[in-house]
Amino acid sequence: MLSHSRCLTRNFGRSLSAIRQGNNALARRATTALSASHAITLNSSVKSDPRSSVFQIHYFRTSVAHRDEVVTVKTPAFAESVSEGDVRWEKAVGDTVREDEVVCEIETDKTSVQVPAPAAGVIEELLVPDGGKVEGGTALFKLRKGAGAPKAAEAPKAEAPAAAAPPPPSAAPPPPPPSAVGPIPTAMPPVPPVPAHAMDTKPVSAIKPTAATAAPAAQAEGGAKGARTESRVKMNRMRLRIAQRLKEAQNTCAMLTTFNEVDMSNISEMRKTYKDAFLKKHNIKLGFMSAFVKAAAHALADQPAVNAVIDDTTKEIVYRDYVDISVAVATPKGLVVPVIRSVEGMNFTDIEKAINLLGEKARKNELAVEDMDGGTFTISNGGVFGSMFGTPIINPPQSAILGMHGIFDRPVAVGGKVEIRPMMYVALTYDHRLIDGREAVLFLRKIKSVVEDPRVLLLDM
Amino acid sequence: MMSHIRRTLSLCRSRSGVLQPARTSSASIGGGGDLVLQSRSTDVFQNLALEDWIDANVDLERRGVLLLWRNRPAVVIGRHQNPWNECNLPAMRSAGVPLARRRSGGGTVFHDLGNLNLTFFSSKKTYDRQRNLRVITEALRRICPELDVRATERFDILLNGHFKISGSASRLSRKSSYHHCTLLHSADRSALAALLRPSCPGIHSNATPSVPSPVTNLLDHAPTLRWEELLEALVHQYNAEFGLGSASTPVDPADESAFPGVAAAAAELRGWDWTFGRTPKFGVRTLLELTDERSAARGSARLQVEVKGGVVQSCELDVPAHWLPRRLSGELSGVLVGGRFCPHRAAAVFSEVTRSESCELRGRLRNLCDAVVSVMG
Repeated sequence: MLSHSRCLTRNFGRSLSAIRQGNNALARRATTALSASHAITLNSSVKSDPRSSVFQIHYFRTSVAHRDEVVTVKTPAFAESVSEGDVRWEKAVGDTVREDEVVCEIETDKTSVQVPAPAAGVIEELLVPDGGKVEGGTALFKLRKGAGAPKAAEAPKAEAPAAAAPPPPSAAPPPPPPSAVGPIPTAMPPVPPVPAHAMDTKPVSAIKPTAATAAPAAQAEGGAKGARTESRVKMNRMRLRIAQRLKEAQNTCAMLTTFNEVDMSNISEMRKTYKDAFLKKHNIKLGFMSAFVKAAAHALADQPAVNAVIDDTTKEIVYRDYVDISVAVATPKGLVVPVIRSVEGMNFTDIEKAINLLGEKARKNELAVEDMDGGTFTISNGGVFGSMFGTPIINPPQSAILGMHGIFDRPVAVGGKVEIRPMMYVALTYDHRLIDGREAVLFLRKIKSVVEDPRVLLLDM
Repeated sequence: MMSHIRRTLSLCRSRSGVLQPARTSSASIGGGGDLVLQSRSTDVFQNLALEDWIDANVDLERRGVLLLWRNRPAVVIGRHQNPWNECNLPAMRSAGVPLARRRSGGGTVFHDLGNLNLTFFSSKKTYDRQRNLRVITEALRRICPELDVRATERFDILLNGHFKISGSASRLSRKSSYHHCTLLHSADRSALAALLRPSCPGIHSNATPSVPSPVTNLLDHAPTLRWEELLEALVHQYNAEFGLGSASTPVDPADESAFPGVAAAAAELRGWDWTFGRTPKFGVRTLLELTDERSAARGSARLQVEVKGGVVQSCELDVPAHWLPRRLSGELSGVLVGGRFCPHRAAAVFSEVTRSESCELRGRLRNLCDAVVSVMG
């Protein structure tokens, strides 16, 4: 009798595993229920075949996951005879939480009480709106336990802890190499271990739909596991507007760029000689920007076309007798372009003071619209980031922009000999509809001559 | 960490005559009694980060900790408050007074060097705010017996039954708790009044409101009370009430080796995302007064903004068509959506829009932009 039944189960087991190894999803689903009850016998009979045992183990896990518990977490009792508090949510529906991670805070009479998750899981439902009142014992939220369980079981195998939302097919990947995201490696990456088990092929219907919270950070971590997700972020209006205007500028202006190089030795020396005295007298530092701003103002007075702009709606050229120079500044919060007004009447000191004032305002977050509005010419300094050479783009509605780049020591020919001088490449992008090539080149050469020898300004050359 | 504090503690004990001597001779490691720490820093972010560090890293089951600290002028709002609704942000900016959001609940306070902060750390079982406040009231009774100081049910301390000299807030974490309170010794009352006056109109929110009360300084009523005297009395009373006595140990929250991770915590507290971004969802509904300088004409516009997480979710700017074309007002309101509710950012964004508009509408457009920016604080 016993031997007969054993024989029967052996055959039964073999036929079941045969069905399972097939690609019939429905058949696999059907056999899951059976395997749960015939656990021991099936295990022993198909021990020799590693592939089917993986499927078996996998399905045990799936069946455990189906028995997820949903727990309702209640408001903790309040201390010292306080009766009610306001709920402030830290997590939202669909967020995965670890055990003891704070889900919400309850504010009662000047006290902030943290409410942690009792176990790892996914937030299923928030039962109180943000700011709503609760009393001790009120139901707060529902947590579906165990979504973290398959990951926990694999933790001994997988080394990357990936606390972010698991990307969809995550059941049995090969163990990822440690520290998948880190500094640029200096050695060859280790050869990843050949997986002991074949990659799992879960039928699509068996995959539970998890919220697609794949943020780029999670992507980086999940990258090691082979998840290739995209995330779409809507462009905000500011970016759309800037993009639109830049494209408009490109489409209407006939933009081209002329280059030159500036020998910074004289201006560096002037600065070195006078910087302490300047600081003492005017209480601000003497920088390089003032030289370029003053040079640009001088050149703009000389070439009024560069300071003008074409009004496409009326087909007129607008000439301006004042020079307002916009200085592009990259702040941590984004690009701001404050304007120095009426530069044509300023000397180096006035310009440094104006730049300093705008810098202070930018730091204290006090730049107003009127500080950034308008401008007839822009100067952008890519040199602070180490740029050597580049073509700036015109900042509409203007006709030209000067791009400053980094100062690097270069061998140059001076008086028939090779010398090392601190050199800076400068670029002028201009609207050819308004400014001719000759004018643009002369304009840039004038800037070069002023910066290379500021005495030119004294002599009005 | 703990061992370092123990080491400094034993060091303090060996130095005689400088600080209060320990009452017990069992100065061994883990020796009994609570810890009294005094922060060397006057930077509000470093001190708040130190509080969080102690809360997270010190084992408070066996002993409590008292931390004494004070800050250079700063405004500190409670965890779930709305800064736009609590203080005068433009005035703070021009005075260089920073804004900090603490992790405990409660209302808004003004900190400066005349305002002493005390934080009582304990386990959740031994959390007792009235007992902590008794330390203060008893200490004051000893050194200024002529003053009538009493703690209220709302955990304030009132002087002469009327003036508030101390307010409290606390935080209950998983395993530990802290209760901190202020104590007005010689704070700048005019600065306090000016900076705690909200400047942004028309805010609708369910954030925790502050309850304003008349305040006074201890120094105004007890002119001979020195700061050091007050501190000594408080430490003495704390030891009497709680522990077997420990000297006050100076600590430096900028010391990363003693408090690993504290610099990162302070940096997080300084960030815009924590200070402003953590504001509960709110709406702004207000009327803007518009003027045209050239023609001296006047107009008005309605502004309605919804802000969540410090970021503008929606913005409606209803400007009469005769004042400005709808296209322009539509552009202005559209360009704010998705960005921070921050005047600096709004100004940068608006200047992009105004830059390429024709001269005749420039004045009105500028005026409208300025009006909207001023609503943001």
